[in-house]
Amino acid sequence: MSSPDHSILDLPFDVQPDPDEFVRAAMDWHFGPETGSPFWLRRAETLDFDPRTDIRTHADLARFPDVTGELRHVRAQDLVPRGYGARPDVVGVFESGGTTGAPKRVVLTRDWLDRMVAWSNANLDAHGFPRGADWLGLVPTGPHIVGEFFRRSADTHGTRGFTIDLDPRWVKKLIAAGRGADAGAYAEHLLEQAEFVLTTQDIGVLTITPSVLERLAGREDLVELVNKKVKAIRWGGTQLDPDSRHLYRTEIFPDIAFCGNYGSTMILGFAGERPGLADEDPCVFDPLSPYVTFSVVDPATREPVAYGERGQVVVSHVSKTFLLPNNLERDLATRLPSLGGPGDAVADIAPVATFENETVIEGVY
Amino acid sequence: MAVADLLGPGRPERPGAQRGPRAEPAPQAQSQSQSQPQPQPQAQTQSPHLDALGAQGAFRARKRATVTDVCGAPVAELSLVPSLFVDRTVKALHRARPMDADQRIAAIGRAAELFATADVAGQSVAAYEHTVSRVGGVPLSVVRATTQNIRARLGRVYDSLTQARPAGTAEHWSSPLTRTGRAVWTRRGETFAVLAAGNHPGTHSLWPEALALGYRVAVRPSRREPFTPYRLINALREAGFGDDRIAFLPTDHAEADTLLRAADRSLVYGGEDVVRKYGGNPDVLLQGPGRSKILVTADTDWRPYLDTITASVAGHGGTGCVNTTTVLVEGDPAPLAEALADRLAALPVLPPEDDRAVLPVQNAATAHALEAHLLTQAAGTRAWLGGDGVAADLGDGSAVLTPAVHQLDRADAPQAGVELPFPCVWVAPWNRADGIAPLRGSLVVTALTTDEQLLDELIAEPTIGNVHAGDHPTYWMGPGLPHDGYLAEFLMRSKTVIRD
Repeated sequence: MSSPDHSILDLPFDVQPDPDEFVRAAMDWHFGPETGSPFWLRRAETLDFDPRTDIRTHADLARFPDVTGELRHVRAQDLVPRGYGARPDVVGVFESGGTTGAPKRVVLTRDWLDRMVAWSNANLDAHGFPRGADWLGLVPTGPHIVGEFFRRSADTHGTRGFTIDLDPRWVKKLIAAGRGADAGAYAEHLLEQAEFVLTTQDIGVLTITPSVLERLAGREDLVELVNKKVKAIRWGGTQLDPDSRHLYRTEIFPDIAFCGNYGSTMILGFAGERPGLADEDPCVFDPLSPYVTFSVVDPATREPVAYGERGQVVVSHVSKTFLLPNNLERDLATRLPSLGGPGDAVADIAPVATFENETVIEGVY
Repeated sequence: MAVADLLGPGRPERPGAQRGPRAEPAPQAQSQSQSQPQPQPQAQTQSPHLDALGAQGAFRARKRATVTDVCGAPVAELSLVPSLFVDRTVKALHRARPMDADQRIAAIGRAAELFATADVAGQSVAAYEHTVSRVGGVPLSVVRATTQNIRARLGRVYDSLTQARPAGTAEHWSSPLTRTGRAVWTRRGETFAVLAAGNHPGTHSLWPEALALGYRVAVRPSRREPFTPYRLINALREAGFGDDRIAFLPTDHAEADTLLRAADRSLVYGGEDVVRKYGGNPDVLLQGPGRSKILVTADTDWRPYLDTITASVAGHGGTGCVNTTTVLVEGDPAPLAEALADRLAALPVLPPEDDRAVLPVQNAATAHALEAHLLTQAAGTRAWLGGDGVAADLGDGSAVLTPAVHQLDRADAPQAGVELPFPCVWVAPWNRADGIAPLRGSLVVTALTTDEQLLDELIAEPTIGNVHAGDHPTYWMGPGLPHDGYLAEFLMRSKTVIRD
C-alpha cells in the first residue's frame, strides 16, 4: 500500500463513502503497523490472508473469522488503534450484557460516538422527535454502552437527560433462577423512581426497554402521565413483538412518536427504526452502513437467506475506531433490502428460539 | 404483504416523518363477532381466523399459531396475544362491574341455547362439532353428547351453585336475615383466569360458574382445541355478557404466567409439570392428573359390572380425567383383565368424525410417541391388550389410539399412576393389607364392595375426590355435584353481615 490516506474513514455520517474504497482504507488502517491496534496486529499473524492486500471489497469481509469471543479476555487498551496517537480521546470502555458468560469489552472513542449520535439524531428528527426536550432514560448505565449513547443523545438532540439506572445482568439472573416475582419487583422499583422524574420534570422524550415499558403500561396513572407530557418514546435493548408495538402505537400512546433501536455493544451502537412505516409494516431497522452492516443468514450454512426470509443476524463493524466483522448475533430477523450501501436491513427481530424437547408428558390435558 | 412492499424494486415511500394520531382503526380490531362474519370452513381455501376476544372486541394478532386437524392439515389460524394485551384485558375485566345475578343467569341460559342450537361466529353446530372431532380427535358422538351436556349444565347453573352455597349463608346482603346477623356469600376476587384443557370439550362446562358468580373471566384456550371456548365465549357475548366481562385470550406459553399474575384467581389444567409449577400458589386451583380407579373387593363378583368397568375405561373416548386408569381387584386380577381386554378389543378403529367412532385419534407422530411411552412404562407387566402397540394408523397422517390392558403384580406398582389420554388401564391385585394407600390421589374411585368400613375410609380420605359405591362408572357426574370439590369453594367465601 503506497498512500496511507485514511481520510475516507473520517467522513460525516451523511456522506456515503464508496464501500469498497472505504473497506480498503479501513484494512490499511487496522493492519498497518503504525495505525492498527495491538489486538488486530497480533491477530493478523494467524490469519490465512493478508487483510491489506486480500480484502478489496465489502464482500471480502466475509473471509474474517468471528473473533467476538476473544473480546472477553483481551486487554481493553490493546483494542485502541495506534493511529489515534498517545492520547486517544476515549469516552469509555464498555461491556456486553453478559448473557452468555463473561462479558465482552469494547472501547468507545469520541469520533465514533459523535458520528453515531449525529446519524441517530437525524433519524429521530425523521420520526418526529422534538428537538430540545428533556429526556428520561430507564436504561442500563455502568458498563453498558447504551447509557453513554443516551446521555450524548439527550445532550445533543435534547437539552438534558435524566437517568434511572437499570442492571440487566441482575434481572437476567433473577429470571434464570425462576425468580420472576423478584424481577417484577425490580421493574416496579424502576418505575417508582421514574415517576418522581416524570411528575416533577418536563420530560419530552422517554427512552426505555420493552419490558419496563410493558410494566409502565400496566400502570394507568403512569400511562396518563406519559401521554400528558411525553412527545416521543424511544425503545430498545430487547425485542418488542409486533402486536405489542401495534398496541402502543394505536391504543396506549396514540399521539406519541414511537421509535425503536436495535443495538448491540459489539457494533458500538445501534440501528434505527426506518421512519414512516405504516402500522401493518414490519419493524425495519437500518444500520449506519457501511460502518455497521447486517446480513441475515441460515445459521447452519452461514449463507444469506433470500429477501423476505428469516434467518440469524450477522453484524459487522468497520470504522476507524474498531473492526469486528462477522459477529453472529443471537437474534432472528427478516432480511430486507437496505436503503443503500452494503448489507441488509433487518425486520421483526426476535430471539433465537429454544426448542422444547419432545418427551411425552403424562396426563390427559 | 407488508414485507412484499418493502421488497419491491423501488424504495418505499416515506409517507411523512411526523406521526400524529392514527386515523385509521387497527386492521382487525373491531367490535363484536356478531358483526364480523367469520369465513365458513367449507367455503374457504384459507383457514379461518380465531381472533382473540379482548375487552375492546376481536383482535387479530400478527403472531398466530396454526391449529391443525389430526392429519396435520391446517384448520384455523389462532391469534396469539402478547403479555401487554393479556394484562390490559384483565385490567379492563377488573374495572367492569358484574351484571346483576339474575341477568347473569339469564344470559348464561341464553348462551347455552345459542351454543347448542345456533350459528355462532358464523359456524353451525354441526360444523363446530365436526371441527372439534377432527381437531381434538374426540369421537363425533362424544362431541355431540357434550354439546348437550354443556347446554344442560349451563341451563341449570344457578341451581348447581345453590347446592354449592353453604346452607347458613344468605344469597345477598339485603336479605332480612342480615338484620340479626348472617353470613353472606361473597366473591374472593373479581377476575378469574382459566388455562383451559384441550382433551375434551366438556371441561368448558365448569368455568362459566365463575361468570355466574359475578367474576369476569378470561380463558386461555388450549392450542389443541380452541374451538369450544371460542364458540362458548362468542355465545356468551351474544347473550349479553359485554366484551369486558368475558375474554378469549390465546397466548404462547410465556404469556400464560402473565394471565395468572393479572387475574385474582385461576383455574389451571395440566399434568404433573403444572402441579409442580403452581402447586404452592393459593390463588391457583389445579386440575391435575385424575388417576381415577375402580376397586373390586372379594365379596363382590365383578362380572355383572363388566359393562360399567369397560365404560369407565373407554367411555367418552377414554380421554378424560374421570376415565379409569387403574382397576384394583381383591384376588386374582387375571380373569377381570382378560374379560376387560375382550370387551375393549372389540372397539372399532375409525376416524373421529365417523358416527360409529368411539376411540380417540391423534396425529400419527403424537400417537406413536404415546405408544412408545406406554411400551416403555409397561415393560415387565403382563399385557392383555395393546402389548404390541396402540397406535393404529389410518393412513392419512392420523392414528387411532386403541385400548391397552396391562396386569400389574402389585397394587403399588408405579404404572398404576400412569394416566394416558386414551383407554389405557392397569389391572392390579389388591388385598386388605394394602388398605386404601393405593387408592390415594384419585379424582374418582368407584368401589364395588359391600364393605362399609372400607367405604367409610375411602370417603374420609382427603386425596380422593369423589367416591361412587356400586354400579356407577367413574365418569358419572350429576347436576349440582362437585367434580373436584365445588369450584365455588375456591371462588367464594362466607362473610358476616349485620346491619341495623
